[in-house]
Amino acid sequence: MRVVIGLEIHVQMSEAGSKLFCDCKADYRGFNVNANVCPVCLGLPGALPVVSKKSLELALATSLALKCEVPKFIVFTRKHYFYPDLPKNYQISMFERAGGVPICRNGVISFLDPSTWEWKTCRVRRINIEEDPGRTVYEEGGITGSPYALVDYNRSGVPLLEIVTEPDIETPRDARLLVEYLLLMLEYLGVTNPRLEGVFRVDANVSIGGGERVEIKNIGSTLDVEKALNYEILRQTKIREAGGVIERETRHWDAMRGITRPLRHKEYEEEYLYFPDPDLPPIAITEEMVEKALRIAEKADLQVLLGELLKLNVPPEHAWSLLSTKPSLELFRKTVSLGGDPQLTARILAVDYKGELREQGRDPYDPSSWPPLETVLELVKLTLSGVYPYDTIKGLVIPALASNPQARLETVLPEKAGDIEVAVEEVIREEVKAVRDYLQGKTQALNYLVGRVIKKIGRKAVDPRVIREALEKRIKSVRST
Amino acid sequence: MRRLKQAWELARDFREGVEDPVEHLYNVFEAINRWEARVNAYISLESPDLLVEEVERISRSIRVGEKIGKLAGLLVSVKDNICTSFLPTTAGSRMLDPYTPPYNATVVERLLEEDAMVVGKTNLDEFAMGSTTELSAFGPTRNPWDLERVPGGSSGGSAASLAYGGSDLSLGSDTGGSARLPAAYTATVGLKPTYGLVSRYGLIPYGNSLEQISPMARSVRDVALLLDVIGGWDPLDATSLRVDRPRTFTVSKADPRKVTICVVKELSEGAEEVIEKAYWRILKKLESEGVELRDEKLPVASKALPAYYTIAFAEAASNLARYDGIFYPTKGGGSSWEEEVELARMKGFGREVKKRILMGVYALSEGYRDEYYIAATKVRRVVRDEVLRMTRSCIIASQASPILPPRLGERLDDPLKLYAMDVYTVIANLAGVPALVQTIEFHNGLPIGVQWIGKPLGEGELVSLGLLVEELTGLAGVVAG
Repeated sequence: MRVVIGLEIHVQMSEAGSKLFCDCKADYRGFNVNANVCPVCLGLPGALPVVSKKSLELALATSLALKCEVPKFIVFTRKHYFYPDLPKNYQISMFERAGGVPICRNGVISFLDPSTWEWKTCRVRRINIEEDPGRTVYEEGGITGSPYALVDYNRSGVPLLEIVTEPDIETPRDARLLVEYLLLMLEYLGVTNPRLEGVFRVDANVSIGGGERVEIKNIGSTLDVEKALNYEILRQTKIREAGGVIERETRHWDAMRGITRPLRHKEYEEEYLYFPDPDLPPIAITEEMVEKALRIAEKADLQVLLGELLKLNVPPEHAWSLLSTKPSLELFRKTVSLGGDPQLTARILAVDYKGELREQGRDPYDPSSWPPLETVLELVKLTLSGVYPYDTIKGLVIPALASNPQARLETVLPEKAGDIEVAVEEVIREEVKAVRDYLQGKTQALNYLVGRVIKKIGRKAVDPRVIREALEKRIKSVRST
Repeated sequence: MRRLKQAWELARDFREGVEDPVEHLYNVFEAINRWEARVNAYISLESPDLLVEEVERISRSIRVGEKIGKLAGLLVSVKDNICTSFLPTTAGSRMLDPYTPPYNATVVERLLEEDAMVVGKTNLDEFAMGSTTELSAFGPTRNPWDLERVPGGSSGGSAASLAYGGSDLSLGSDTGGSARLPAAYTATVGLKPTYGLVSRYGLIPYGNSLEQISPMARSVRDVALLLDVIGGWDPLDATSLRVDRPRTFTVSKADPRKVTICVVKELSEGAEEVIEKAYWRILKKLESEGVELRDEKLPVASKALPAYYTIAFAEAASNLARYDGIFYPTKGGGSSWEEEVELARMKGFGREVKKRILMGVYALSEGYRDEYYIAATKVRRVVRDEVLRMTRSCIIASQASPILPPRLGERLDDPLKLYAMDVYTVIANLAGVPALVQTIEFHNGLPIGVQWIGKPLGEGELVSLGLLVEELTGLAGVVAG
């Protein structure tokens, strides 16, 4: 049965610096409870919202990156509902009717399936700028059992983009890929840090075989987008196959149990009393603003960035790996601009170094997990010089750097072949018995000899495999003489 | 008739050492002691000790020749819907009793920068919703000219404090006439500035798109003095105009031969006979001085009152949503959050406030929004266009109130009669243009006012005409008793 999926993605503009309407911080993480607040984001009587320039600029850049129609002016509206974490009991948003004008209409997102290198598109219906509410914290027993709730307003007023797509998506996997790609775009645009906890939420609408659509709320990760939709499609298919009818409803994604659950039915029609916020006069989107936002959007065009990599003959999978880990791409571009070999640099950074970071449980998205440009450049040159086999670079140097990116390259370099040969020569001369044992077929004797060589070389990094090879070669030549 | 020195003269005399600000403070204390128990102009008063300390500091500064602010030594009363961090701010509501904001309104900051002393916070109709100052949770304010009568509203406390000499200057607010009607009823002067000239940051909102904090005083020159201090762009208010501080204090009396007054039919009819007669007397007198009178019509005027109330109620319903028992002192004592909200709002709001919230919600509801709120905004646009067209070439004359100050209780039974008191004043709020009300005559000991409506940022011209009228009437600085 034909599956139709549309998404509503809420992303915090965590990199906007300030909240949407005041000077409190956009990234509230790490603050003590209710310490990132002021009269404006607490909604105190008489305090007034003033739109942050930076949020507006980033929202505009996003709209242009998604090829939206951008209006001549935007109008914020008030959306009223009573909720404890909403201090004014209305949210400042952009309803497209009742006088509101959103920042973007009729855009389109092209997103990549990196495993097939296929580009897909989905239309974007609109983008709203709005404020995040505070956060309600329930004690033991959760929302139903807790005797009280606590509210933390540190998040109140954080700028959000609400990105609504048309129902153009055909599979849960594509839905996930779209969200992943969108988040990457927003990261490059400098809008958000997708890895911050709770920085985005997805609501997904899905219908099968032309039936009613069901909305799934509260999806908090890209993997869960796919999981929740798969679950929901399976659920709907079973109902249809049993002769049932899908009713239009809103369901809640329970990530812990991996299921969607019906939300309590609303007893009355939703009534939000929308009207233009009289505290925020229409804001003109000037040509100057558009030009500035275009410059941001152009610099962050992922298709262009990928194209540049492919032109350098970087294999597509390496290119995607670099792109999807922003610090590695930045390092790559700098290294190449200073003469580093593109393909080798890509391999070192996108495959081996990144793999090693994961192996060691370090965060590849944290720029401080990566060595400085000079180290990378030296490493690339060294590799090309052939002084060390790539196995040594990969097996020894990269792991050592990954665990200490600030280390100077020479301190993590193994002995050169010549030094090893000298040590091997001495060990063979000193350990006559062990050499004999080995020649008589006691293979474990070789391990002992390797250990002796390492000890002789001292504390410097060295690849045991290289020593093993050197020993074997030398002993063979001894035997043949 | 008793007259007091104008505030600007006092400030000058303090500076020149002719008058002693300490002695003046004691005179004002004396007036407050004599009148306050009967008039109830103030909700809270600053501690006399603190004021004495402050005035002695100013007195010392003057003696040693230090630089002092424009308002040094003057006592300013501030309407209790304007936030002060050093005195409670209740908006005349039980909901905010007691509530002391953590910040000062921008206008208060500007008063303090000019060394003004805030003597206390004045009474008002709850959340500024009323035209008589009878609808305060802190009891009604009485008119010092006749204690059986109301002082007008909602800035009745400010007007009354001026009328008995309990302050030198006062800040009111004017959403539909709330500073001008009390001026007409208490023989004071009220100037509703151009929308956006005075920052609303810190004004507890009633009808955001309509209201302005408004200077009130006993003379036109004094109102200009206060306007110059509080006006001008404020980055904390997005509706604030990007203009410099106004300079109206130094304008001179108008040359009558250069003044054109539009006598708008709809704004010159419908008042009690004594008012109408007084109105024509002052117009004829001005004409005999050389002022040109021009007949004009404003057919849309009849729709202005319902449009005004629809917009104000809609905005009020939204603004007042935040009072839900969480942040503010009045608690419901409910056992669930929903119940808490209901009970807090039931206990905290007075009848008139509840009525206006209900009507505002109705006007914004899905299905009614077009018929009420949207229709009202269309009327508003027509009013604005007409008024802007007219004020390009003249100052509009209008009556200030259809009736003399009513007796306490007289108007409360009939809400339509209560609302109709604003029929002449709402035009300026809908159009966003400045309007000044001053006294022209007394009838049986009760003042009769007139209103002048100007073009946007035409405060200087209104002051200039006001000075001319004041000269003709000789009523600058009058006080009751």
